[in-house]
Amino acid sequence: MSDVPMPRPDEPLVRVRGLSTRLGGKVIFDALDLDIPRGSITALMGPSGTGKTTLLKHITGQMRPDAGEVWVDGRNVPELGRDALFALRECIGYLFQNSALLTDFDVFENVAFPLRQHARLPEELVRNIVLTKLQAVGLRGAARLLPSELSGGMARRVALARAIVFDPMLILYDEPFVGLDPIALNQVLKLIRTLNQTLGITSVLVAHELSAVRRVADRVHLLANGKIVAAGAPDELARGESDWTKQFFGGEADGPVPFHYPAGDYARELGFDGGAA
Amino acid sequence: MNGRFLRGGYLADALAQVGAAGLFFFSILGALPKSLRYVRETVRQVWFVGAMSLVIIMTCGLFVGMVLALQLYHTLSIFGGTEALGTVVALSLLRELGPVVTALLFAGRAGTSITAEIGLMRATDQLAAMEMMAVDPIAYVIAPRFLAGVIAMPLLACVFNALGIFGGHLVGVTWLGIDNGTFWGNMTANVDLWDDVVNGVWKSLAFGAVVTLIGVFQGYTTPPTSEGVAYATTRTVVFSSIVVLALDFVLTAFLM
Repeated sequence: MSDVPMPRPDEPLVRVRGLSTRLGGKVIFDALDLDIPRGSITALMGPSGTGKTTLLKHITGQMRPDAGEVWVDGRNVPELGRDALFALRECIGYLFQNSALLTDFDVFENVAFPLRQHARLPEELVRNIVLTKLQAVGLRGAARLLPSELSGGMARRVALARAIVFDPMLILYDEPFVGLDPIALNQVLKLIRTLNQTLGITSVLVAHELSAVRRVADRVHLLANGKIVAAGAPDELARGESDWTKQFFGGEADGPVPFHYPAGDYARELGFDGGAA
Repeated sequence: MNGRFLRGGYLADALAQVGAAGLFFFSILGALPKSLRYVRETVRQVWFVGAMSLVIIMTCGLFVGMVLALQLYHTLSIFGGTEALGTVVALSLLRELGPVVTALLFAGRAGTSITAEIGLMRATDQLAAMEMMAVDPIAYVIAPRFLAGVIAMPLLACVFNALGIFGGHLVGVTWLGIDNGTFWGNMTANVDLWDDVVNGVWKSLAFGAVVTLIGVFQGYTTPPTSEGVAYATTRTVVFSSIVVLALDFVLTAFLM
């Protein structure tokens, strides 16, 4: 019998409660709460350095928080031991910003890697599964290319094929649109949407591209100052009236996120304080 | 000397590094049973750190043996003992020079490439990707390389010794005219299998473990930047050289 409690189907797949994290003295999360419903595509947006990738690392147990709970499919991630954490990760796909393909292996072997590590399958079945996944991302013909021979968009799609090779319940995309040309961007958008609709995979994506997020996400959470400062449907949020949404979605240089990094008095630093004049 | 040195900051950092390397060593030992699944990866690494190092090891072994024979012939001829050349060349190589020089060459050739490879895997998130695919990088990446280093090092030292003795023979017998029978006869009569040959193998096993441990540790813990990888490879050579020579003294004192 498994020790893992059976989660209710109507429960969020990811539930974060009171998450607090400090990195190098800086508060990243301050009692953050977040729910990610099953089967949804949720985007995490926010200014650079607000901890979007760090939040993904907490969800996957790559980092432990200072305080708080991160529940994924009924399991509190910070409390999991290594074996339980690895068992959970077998059900999670993670798309790294730089694809993180294994450079010693060709495309086929990269996608086959998790299968070879965790399932004792006949070679023919491995081959069929890998080719199916590569076909899904449109790269069956590139099976024998090395990662160094792929463009950025192709590498992203191979990494996606590898992430879905076990048909995970959750996929985390860390900035999947960065550096992609419009064609590759559309291909990745289509794949994210298709995987969500056909396999029912819950998706969380960290992104800055509002136009892309609007086309794919069901819900957006705007992170700033260690908390969720706004949440809702992408269009609803883009029309939001709060200072945060106005600055972020309007692309304003100054606002709640200041243009200037905190610093001392400018005049004093230049030597123009009282006596010098 | 700056204030930090006087306060012992560097010493504390160095001790912390040694402690971390020790813990890392135990985590490798813990992962060894799991890494037995990856026999092919271990064999591939033996090929990479062992077979690919053969050219430099053979070339250096040959020249070290030749230089040794020249120098020793000159010294022995002062005392009229040139017939002992084969014995002295063989003992020098088997007991000392073979394991030590092979370890230093191994650190420069294989140690640095192990560090750079693992460091780049860290910098390009390949190790993190393995973790995310529920694959333990210590078992899949680190332990096979560590095992390969421990396996390859004694074999390379044996090759170095063989080529060194051959080089000594070339100079002593072919060039300087020492009798072939005297060269081999004295050598085989005075070299002891256990005291000389096997002790040298023990040394090279220990050096293989230490050099490879330093290589994998530096690579695994390097900051994920190009500068970090560059410093890590440099540290591998510097630390390996110092530790090999220091360990050689300790082992020689115990094995004498």
